[in-house]
Amino acid sequence: MANGPKRLDLSPYLAREPVILAVLTGLAIASFLAVTGLSRLYHAQQESLAERWSARGAGDLNAHRFQVAITEFRTALLYDRDNSAYQLSLAQALMGLNQTDEAQAYLVNLWARQPENGVVNLELARIAAQKNQTVRALRFYHNAIYAIWPGNQEADRRKTRLELVNYLLQINARTQAESELIALETDIGEDPTQQTRLGGLFLRVQDYNRALTAFRTALKLDRTDAQASAGAGVAAFEMGQYAAAQRYLHQAVAASPGDTASAALLQTTESVLQMDPFRPQISDTERNRIAISAFNTAVDRLTACTALAASGAPSSAKPNVAASTTGARSLMQQWQKLKSQMTERGLRQNPDLLNTAMNLSFQIERQTASACGPGSPADKALLLIANLHEEN
Amino acid sequence: MSSEEGRSGPPAPEIAQDTAVGRTPGPASISIFQAFFREDRFFLILSVFIGIFSGLAVVCFRFAIDWCRIYFLGSGAVQSPIRLLLAPTLAGLVIAILVIHVFPLARGSGVNQTKAALYIYNGYIPLKTAVGKFITSALAIGSGHSLGPEDPSLQIGACLASALGRKLRLSRDHMRLIAPVGAAAGLAAAFNAPISAVLFVIEEVIGRWTAGILGSVVLSAVSSVVVMRWFLGSESLFRIPPVELLRPSELIAYAVLGIVGGLASVVFAFGISTLRPLCKGLRPWTQYLQPAIAGLLIGCIAVLGAPQVMGAGYQYMDEAMHGQFTWQFMAILALLKIVATLLSFASGTPGGMFAPTLFIGAMFGAAVGGAEHALLPHLSWSPGTYALIGMGVLFAGFLRAPMTSVFMVLEVSGNYSIIVPVIVANTFAYVISRTLQPTAIFDALSRQDGLELPSMEEQREESILRVEDAMQPPTEVILEAKDTLEKASKLAGQQPGDDVLLVRFSPSGWSSMTREELKSFIEGGKGSQTLESVLAGGGQIPCLHPDQPLDMALRYVDRWPLVPVVNRANLRELEGVITQHDVLERYRDFGGE
Repeated sequence: MANGPKRLDLSPYLAREPVILAVLTGLAIASFLAVTGLSRLYHAQQESLAERWSARGAGDLNAHRFQVAITEFRTALLYDRDNSAYQLSLAQALMGLNQTDEAQAYLVNLWARQPENGVVNLELARIAAQKNQTVRALRFYHNAIYAIWPGNQEADRRKTRLELVNYLLQINARTQAESELIALETDIGEDPTQQTRLGGLFLRVQDYNRALTAFRTALKLDRTDAQASAGAGVAAFEMGQYAAAQRYLHQAVAASPGDTASAALLQTTESVLQMDPFRPQISDTERNRIAISAFNTAVDRLTACTALAASGAPSSAKPNVAASTTGARSLMQQWQKLKSQMTERGLRQNPDLLNTAMNLSFQIERQTASACGPGSPADKALLLIANLHEEN
Repeated sequence: MSSEEGRSGPPAPEIAQDTAVGRTPGPASISIFQAFFREDRFFLILSVFIGIFSGLAVVCFRFAIDWCRIYFLGSGAVQSPIRLLLAPTLAGLVIAILVIHVFPLARGSGVNQTKAALYIYNGYIPLKTAVGKFITSALAIGSGHSLGPEDPSLQIGACLASALGRKLRLSRDHMRLIAPVGAAAGLAAAFNAPISAVLFVIEEVIGRWTAGILGSVVLSAVSSVVVMRWFLGSESLFRIPPVELLRPSELIAYAVLGIVGGLASVVFAFGISTLRPLCKGLRPWTQYLQPAIAGLLIGCIAVLGAPQVMGAGYQYMDEAMHGQFTWQFMAILALLKIVATLLSFASGTPGGMFAPTLFIGAMFGAAVGGAEHALLPHLSWSPGTYALIGMGVLFAGFLRAPMTSVFMVLEVSGNYSIIVPVIVANTFAYVISRTLQPTAIFDALSRQDGLELPSMEEQREESILRVEDAMQPPTEVILEAKDTLEKASKLAGQQPGDDVLLVRFSPSGWSSMTREELKSFIEGGKGSQTLESVLAGGGQIPCLHPDQPLDMALRYVDRWPLVPVVNRANLRELEGVITQHDVLERYRDFGGE
């Protein structure tokens, strides 16, 4: 025995902790692999159930059957609770039923995971807008504009910015809305519909110059676009470019005879053009005739307004009328003074008289407009002419 | 633990007395391993493996529950009435047969079984119990019985840990602790909340905090949660809505929620502790039918319009948190859930009470919040906040784990701003529940089963005796070590009294000497020597402080006849003295109190 070959005795090592740990590690790895297999089966089944229920949900959501869609998306989320698309769809279905709080909870969770998701930001912005949380709404709208969108990113961003502009107009934040529109101007290409829409929004923020540019671009691309013609007419009118306005409004009314607003504006525009004694390329006789007519229109307006104050003006207008009674008397006296001179002959003899008479007429129109409200189309036209020449 | 188990108990395990893994002497090089793998370190590493295995088991358990639900109740969120009635009934029959004939130890929630393993069976839980618990609980919860997966997961974790410990022949101390370590892992994986799991096991199962236990429990809980998240994702059980407390005055509203929750806890606990013995007391053959009848009744509740009470109900808690239900409906759901859980649990169907407790709490919370808002519209109304706090309230009131209840809400919500309302509401619920139902539910259940497990709640509130409760006023004679024996004798002669004299050393330290010894030294001609020189060989005696537990005094009083009690700030200042007689007298009086 003593001389035999010495055998390596491993038993002391085998009984010790490192071996146990190695065995446990091996067992843990084997168990891990086994559970991974089970997990794959489990997740595959869950995924398939989730897809099935979400497909049903999507169908119902598109058909605006929100209640059913909610149940189906909830079921889908039972099987795939982290799926952002299902959560988003569920939130949209919830918003369809006006359950904004719950929708918001889903969206906030989604946002925490995907702050760059455009759809999530937009939906959160809509909820905040609905809840009158302006700062939050603006933050999410801006996030959405610069976020990542599935599909056509540019178009989605443009749509989001347009929605933001509408929201800003809704809350009377015209300056901010104008800034957004200016940013949007560069993004909109050669699309007449988009240009017309842009022009309309510029009109709403009273940026008539940009509005006119947008409408002109739209008309370049599509001459028959009645909406663009009408918009261009309004923009030109507001800028005092009555000749251009007349041209665009003519086009609009011709293309769309039912457009009463354009027709009315056209009428006013034509009145302005006809009643303006300062317009170029008319004879002196014609100029004098127009001035005399305007002079008489003004006194008619003054008389009517004074009578209104004396009799029974609407209670809301009475204080204004009373306050301006003294002014009216003074204007009438001035008018009486000029009346005798306001003839063809008088105007020919004294070329300055035309300016004096027209200034008095403008003054009368302004005062009566503030005291008695808007007058006849002729009075409106005179006011517009007054504004036009005052600016010049 | 069933009564059957309570009477007979599992077979006594064979446990290594003093070695970690049956260590045998080996070559010198092996001592490096031995040094590195001291048993306590090895136990920590083992805790990680326990966590991994428990996590894997809980993941499989979750799969099993989901598969049972899909095959029994259907994959949709809306089930047909036939399925709602048949699934829990038929599953109940199968469960009864399995529990009676194959897995008798699988009954109940699992918390008391784990405690019994710790305190009675030296950490022994048969592996068969885990298998039984896995199968029967999955069938029960999946088929719609109103029970939850957390307590069974806790027990499955404890069983696996116990089996591993037995295989490795751990020492008795570690075997006792290994079941709670596995329990924490199981609960953490089931609940996806490691902090709450650790706290629950410490608060409700182990009952004490020591670094060794805490380290193992934390390691196992964390590793099991990592495994669970690997397979099932890291999402919490609920989507937590924005939680807010706008005005401090709203705390009153949460206090009301605490009161309502406390009363609901009492009703729930009273129902379980009354109905369970009644069901167990029925004729033995009825045991085969009880789970089925409970299942049928739950199915009827579901068919009549409240399918939310079936199963664990986490998705409905989530919906309640997001204002999906009216407060009136949530109040009804809470009441129906109490009924359904009473039926399921009292019938002996295996499954846990955590999830139903959270469900009832969430529904009551949101309902109370809704009612308060209807009455006082100026209060801010956030159903999610009330539901979350309601969960904590029921947890504190019903399960009587106040600390876990607070941390659970914080961990689940991930929002620490909610802590004040949680504490306010939970305190009210706990105090009401403690007053109206003095015995906690787990203690009541274990006593019904004939087991006298230590009550953690009673332990927490137990007053302990301290040294100051037994010590006597300082002796009148204190000798200084630098004094000569003659001077000391003179001093001692002026104040006749105690036979033992205390000697104070400088700068600190105490010793003692009897009058007899002093006398004999002087007679021996050492009167001019100092006490210090005479006592040099005798050594100093230990000191105690007034705030120390009286148990501490027991270590010294049999060796030294008089032990000084000194001030912590000035060790030379004597505050009192204590003798063996004083200690025993105090303990005797305390027993009488």
